[in-house]
Amino acid sequence: MGNSLSHLIIGAGAAGMAAATAIREGDPDAAVRMLSEEDVRPYFRPMIPFIISGKKTPSQVSLAGVGPYADAGIDIRINTRAVKTDPAEKTVTTSNGEVLVYDRLLVATGSSPYIPPDIGGTDMEGVYALRTLAQAQHAAERASWAKSAVMLGGGLLNLKAAFALLEKKIAVTLVVKSPEILSQLMEPRDAAMIRTALMESGLRIITGRGASKIVGGNRGVCAVFLDDGTELAGDMVFIGKGVRPNTAFLSSTGLDVKKGVPVNVHTETAIPGIFAAGDTAVTFDPVTGESIVTGLWTNAVEMGRCAGKNMAGIKSAYTGTFGVMNATQVAGLPFVSMGIVHPDKNACEVHTASSSDSYLKLVFSQEGDRLLGLVMIGRIEKAGLYRYIIRERRDISPLKDKIIRQRLHAGDLAFGRH
Amino acid sequence: MNQVKEIFIIQDRCMGCHTCELSCAVVHSRSGNLYEAMAEHPRPVPRIYVEALSSGKPVPLVCRHCADAPCMHACIAGAIRKTPEQTIVTDPDKCIGCWTCVMVCPYGMVGRHPEEQKAYRCDRCPAIGEPACVSSCPTRALVYRSVDDYSKNRRQTAARELSSGEGG
Amino acid sequence: MTDVSTTKRSLDPAVNAMLDLAKEKQIDTVWDRYDAMLPQCGFGDTGLCCRHCLQGPCRIDPLGNGPKTGICGATADVMVARGLDRAIAAGTAAHSGHARHLAHTLLKMAEGKANDYRITDEAKLKSVAIRMGIAVDGRAAMDVAADLARAALADFHEKDTPVMWAATVVTKKRVALLSRLGLVPKGIDHEVSEIMHRTLYGVDADPVNLLLAGLRCGVADLAGCYMGTDLADILFGTPKPVQSAANLGTLKKDWVNIALHGHNPVLSDLLVTTAMKRQDLAKTKGAQGFNLVGICCTGNEVMSRHGIPACTHSVSQETAILTGAVDMMVVDYQCIMPSIATVAQCTGTPVLTTMDICKISGTDHMAFTEEQALAHAEEILKRAADRFEKRKGKSVTIPAVKTPVMAGFSTEAIVGALLKVDARDPLKPVVDNIKAGNIRGICLYAGCNNVKVQQDKNFVAMAKKMLKENVLILATGCGAGALMRHGFMDPAKVDELCGDGLKAVLTAIGQANGLNGPLPPVLHMGSCVDNSRAVALAVAVADYLGVDTDALPVVASAAEAVSEKAVSIGAYAVAAGLPTHVGVMLPVLGGPLVASVLTDKVKDLTGGYFIVDLDPESAADKLIAAIDQRRKGLGL
Repeated sequence: MGNSLSHLIIGAGAAGMAAATAIREGDPDAAVRMLSEEDVRPYFRPMIPFIISGKKTPSQVSLAGVGPYADAGIDIRINTRAVKTDPAEKTVTTSNGEVLVYDRLLVATGSSPYIPPDIGGTDMEGVYALRTLAQAQHAAERASWAKSAVMLGGGLLNLKAAFALLEKKIAVTLVVKSPEILSQLMEPRDAAMIRTALMESGLRIITGRGASKIVGGNRGVCAVFLDDGTELAGDMVFIGKGVRPNTAFLSSTGLDVKKGVPVNVHTETAIPGIFAAGDTAVTFDPVTGESIVTGLWTNAVEMGRCAGKNMAGIKSAYTGTFGVMNATQVAGLPFVSMGIVHPDKNACEVHTASSSDSYLKLVFSQEGDRLLGLVMIGRIEKAGLYRYIIRERRDISPLKDKIIRQRLHAGDLAFGRH
Repeated sequence: MNQVKEIFIIQDRCMGCHTCELSCAVVHSRSGNLYEAMAEHPRPVPRIYVEALSSGKPVPLVCRHCADAPCMHACIAGAIRKTPEQTIVTDPDKCIGCWTCVMVCPYGMVGRHPEEQKAYRCDRCPAIGEPACVSSCPTRALVYRSVDDYSKNRRQTAARELSSGEGG
Repeated sequence: MTDVSTTKRSLDPAVNAMLDLAKEKQIDTVWDRYDAMLPQCGFGDTGLCCRHCLQGPCRIDPLGNGPKTGICGATADVMVARGLDRAIAAGTAAHSGHARHLAHTLLKMAEGKANDYRITDEAKLKSVAIRMGIAVDGRAAMDVAADLARAALADFHEKDTPVMWAATVVTKKRVALLSRLGLVPKGIDHEVSEIMHRTLYGVDADPVNLLLAGLRCGVADLAGCYMGTDLADILFGTPKPVQSAANLGTLKKDWVNIALHGHNPVLSDLLVTTAMKRQDLAKTKGAQGFNLVGICCTGNEVMSRHGIPACTHSVSQETAILTGAVDMMVVDYQCIMPSIATVAQCTGTPVLTTMDICKISGTDHMAFTEEQALAHAEEILKRAADRFEKRKGKSVTIPAVKTPVMAGFSTEAIVGALLKVDARDPLKPVVDNIKAGNIRGICLYAGCNNVKVQQDKNFVAMAKKMLKENVLILATGCGAGALMRHGFMDPAKVDELCGDGLKAVLTAIGQANGLNGPLPPVLHMGSCVDNSRAVALAVAVADYLGVDTDALPVVASAAEAVSEKAVSIGAYAVAAGLPTHVGVMLPVLGGPLVASVLTDKVKDLTGGYFIVDLDPESAADKLIAAIDQRRKGLGL
C-alpha cells in the first residue's frame, strides 16, 4: 500500500511496543520508528526485580518478538531521547540532533520515579528508585555483597524488590509512612493477611514512619535515619514512592502536560496526529469517571494498542482503566486489587469475607446493584470476570449472591437466562 | 482463518458429569492415564470447568482463545503467545505467576496452579487432534469444529453467547 | 479381508471372523458399544461415584481438585469400600441364588413334586449329608436329599449355627481364624442384606470395617458356590474326565443347533438328556439331529457332565448368533448380555428366556418350572426343530475353528485319577511332586472375558508362562472357556505348553489312568460356582500337609474379570488366604486406604491379598513370586 504512513513512537516501553505491534498488525507496510532513551532494546520492565534476584538474565526479559510483540520491521533507536516536538512541521528533534519527520506521533515516554525532596542523601551510591534494567543490574551487583537493605514505601514495586533481596539473604526493612503497607491498593484491614505473610517470610516492616536522611561512606549508602531518629543499617536503599509522567519535552507543543498528556477516547491529543498512551497519558476511570494517570503495565499495553490501531487507521476506543488494578503474588500469597478499594462507607455497600487462607472485599454501589471494586487475597480465581462486570457497570442484582460467595462464572453472564 | 477449529458448547446437552474436567486433567498429566495421574505431583488440573447456572443447570466453560486475547497483551513476562493455529498458549517456563492474566481474562478461564505457581489454560490438545474434553463428553455437549463448519443456527447461538462476554 | 481393528478385539480367530461379518452386516457387538462408551467415566472407574442416597449423585475428584468427600461427608475410602461391598453382595446373591434354585429343585424332587429329576450321584449325596451332620445310615436317599435341601435353604438365614456350607468346607485352622476375625457368615442372605444395610446412607463409614464385612460376605459367597456345586453334582452327577470340543466350529450346519447360555444346569442338563433321547424330533424336520452347544457356565456345566461342546464364551456370546446357525439360544440367568436380543433380531435367531428373574425385551419367554421340566424341555426341542426347518438350506457362517477338549476334572475326578497312581494315599503323588518341584504351585484361573482386554489375551499369556514354570493350572468359568478355545485342554498340547516337571506329572497320571497320554495341560474344573472345587482341592492338600490354605503355593487369577460375581469370588479367595490376581482395574483405586488394605494389609489378617495388574506378563511373574514365597514358607 503506497500511501502507508510514517509512524514515530517516542518511548519503547509497554505502551510504545504495544502500539508498534498494533500498527504492524493493522498496516504491514507502514514505517514504524521508535526512540528509546535507554541503552538496551525494549524489555519487560515489571520483570526487573528478577534481575536483582538473579532469576532472570537481561536477555530473558527482552521484549521485541516475544509473546504478542512484533519485532520485524520496527526500527528501534536506543540511546535516543526526544528533546523537542514541532507539531506544525510534524518533526521531532532527538538528543543526537537529528530531526525526524512523522505522519503520526505517539508519545509513550512513560514515567519517572518520584523522589521525595525532603529526604537527604537520595543521590548517594546504592540508593535506587528502581525503573530501568540498568539500575536493576547495578543493584544486582551491589546485592552480591550487601548485608542489609531499607525499602522506603510500601507499594508493589518495593515489595517485589524486597523479595528479590530476601532471596539473596539480605536483611530487609520496609519503611512505610502510611499506617499499613499497600495503602494505594487496599485499606489497612485488607492488608493484614499479606502483612502477616510478609513478616513470616522474614521481611521487617515499620509503618507510620518516614525517612529523614540517608547517610553513607566510601562504599555509598550505609544507613537510613527515620523521622523518629531511628537508624536503620542499609547497604542498599530503594525508594518506591510512585511515578510522575515524563512530559518535559512536550513543553514546546503548547499542550497542557503538567499532570500528563490529555487525550480523547481514541487516545489522540488536542493536536491531530499526535497520540499519547501509557504512564505519560491522562486516561479515565470508568467507575469513577475521573481523569487519572497511572503507572500500570496493563493500562499502558491496552492504551498503546488502542493508540496503535487508531494510528494505523483502525478506529478504536479506549475504555479507560481503573486507577487501582493490580495482581501479583508476594510471600506465596496471590492477590488482586481493582476499582474502588477505599470506599466511602456511607456511599457504598461493602462485603468482606475471610478464611484462614483467603480474604475477599467487595465494594458495591450504594444501591447494591453495581460492583465497584474488590480486593481478593489467596483466592483470586476468575478475577478478570469481576473486572469485566465492574468496568461494564453491569446490573449484578440477579448474580449478587454468587458474587458475594465468589462463585460467579462466565456461564452466569453468557447463559444466565437459561 | 475460518478453518480454525474451536470448542463449542451446547449447554442444554451438558449433564454435569465433570468427565471433561477429568479427562482434561488426565490428558495434561505426565503419565496420561488416570490411575497414575492420581499419584502425580504437581497435581494434574483441568482446564475446562463445569459450573452451575443459577437455575442449577450445568455448563462447561473453557478458554475462548480470543482473537485479541487480553491475557496475552497483559502478560508482563511475555509468556503468552498465539500459535499459527490461533491457539493462545502460556509458556510455563516463562510464566512468573504474577496473575495479571487471571486479572484480565473476562471469562475467568485462566487457572492458577496451586503447586507450580504457574498460570495454565486450555491448549486445545494440539497433540491428539480433538481435545480430550470433546472426545470424552458422553452427551456431545462439546463439539470441535471450525466456525464455518458449525451450522448457521449454532453459529448464531454461539455468537449470542460470545457477545455477552468480552474479548472475541 | 481381516480388519485390523477386529483382530485386535479377540485372540480367537473364530471370534474375529464373526466380527468381520458383523461389520459387513453393520451389526453392533459389545466391542462397538465399548468403543462408543470410550472414554469411560473416571469417577466410576476409580469407584468415586456414589448414588446410595437421594442427595446424590456424589463424586469425589480422584485428582484432588474438586470435592474431597460426598455430600454426607463420606470420604473417598468410605465411598469405594461401600461400592466394593455392594459388588460382593451382588456376586454373593447371584451364586447363592443359583444354589438356592438347586436346593429348591432337590427338595421338590425329594418331595415327589419334580419327578423329572433324580439323584444321580448318591455317593455324593451321602458325603455331603455327612459333612452337614445329617444322618444317612439306613435312610432312604430321598429322605436324606430332603433333609439336605432343607439344610441348604436354612443356610440362607440366621440360625443357631453359622453358614454350614462355609464352616465345614475350609480347614479347621481357617475356621478358627475366620471366627477370630468375625468373618464367619451367619446366613448367606443375612450377609447380603447386612451389606445393603451398612452401605446405606449414614451407616458404616469406617473403610476397614466395611472391608471386613465385604470379606465375610465373600465367605458367604464361597458357601453359595460350594452348595451350588454339591447340589448340582447330586442331581446331575459329579463330573468325570470327558472328551469334548470348543469354539464356533462345534456348530453344525445340518443339525438343529441349540445354544445353552447362562449358568444353571437345572434346565440345561435336562435339555441335554432329553435331546439325546428325542433325536427323532430333529430328524423329522430334516436335520441330522440335535446339536447342543454351551455358552458361558451353562456350557461348562453340561460339558463337564455330558461332554457337550462349548460354542463360545463370555464377551463373544453374540458371535454364536452371528453365525446364523443357531436355531435357538436358551438362556437361564447371569452374564446374558441384553444385546443378544438385538443381534438375534438381525439374524432371525430365536432367543428363549426361561427364568422369571431374567426376561429380555425382544425375546420369547417360557416360564420354566421344575414340576413340568421334561414337558418344557421337549417343547423347547420342538420349537428349535421348527426353526431349523425354516433355516434349512439357507447359508450359515460357521468358522472352521474347533479345539479338542478334555474336561470334567471335579475334585473327586482328580482324586480318582490319583488313586490310580497311589491307591492308599492318593494325595501323596501330588504333594510329593509339589515338594520335588515338579509342581511348582497351583494356579486357578477363573472369571470372565472383559471387553477392555483383547479377548483371552491375559489368560493365554499368563497360562503359557506359568505352565512353562511348572505351575499346575486349574480353570473354571469363562477363564476355562478362554483356555479351552486356545488348546490348553488338549492333552496333545502338553509337550508344547508344559515345563518338564509338570509334563512328567501329567503324563504319569494320564498313563496310570489308561489314557495313553497325559492329562491336559489345564484341568477344567467346571463353571464359576465350581471354584468351590478348587477350594476343596486346596483344603484337601492343606489338611494332608497339616497346614492352612494360606501356606500353600496356591494362587488365583481372574485375569479378565467382568461380573460382580468375580469380585465376590476374589473376596473369598482372599479370605481363604490366596494371592489373587485381577487383570482389570477394580473400582477401588480412588480410595488409597482401601487399595492398600486390599493389596497389602489384608495379608496380615487372612494371608490372602489382591494383586491388581493389567499386564499379563508381570502379573504371571507376581503370581510365580507369590508361589515361590509360599514354597519357601513351607521349607521347599
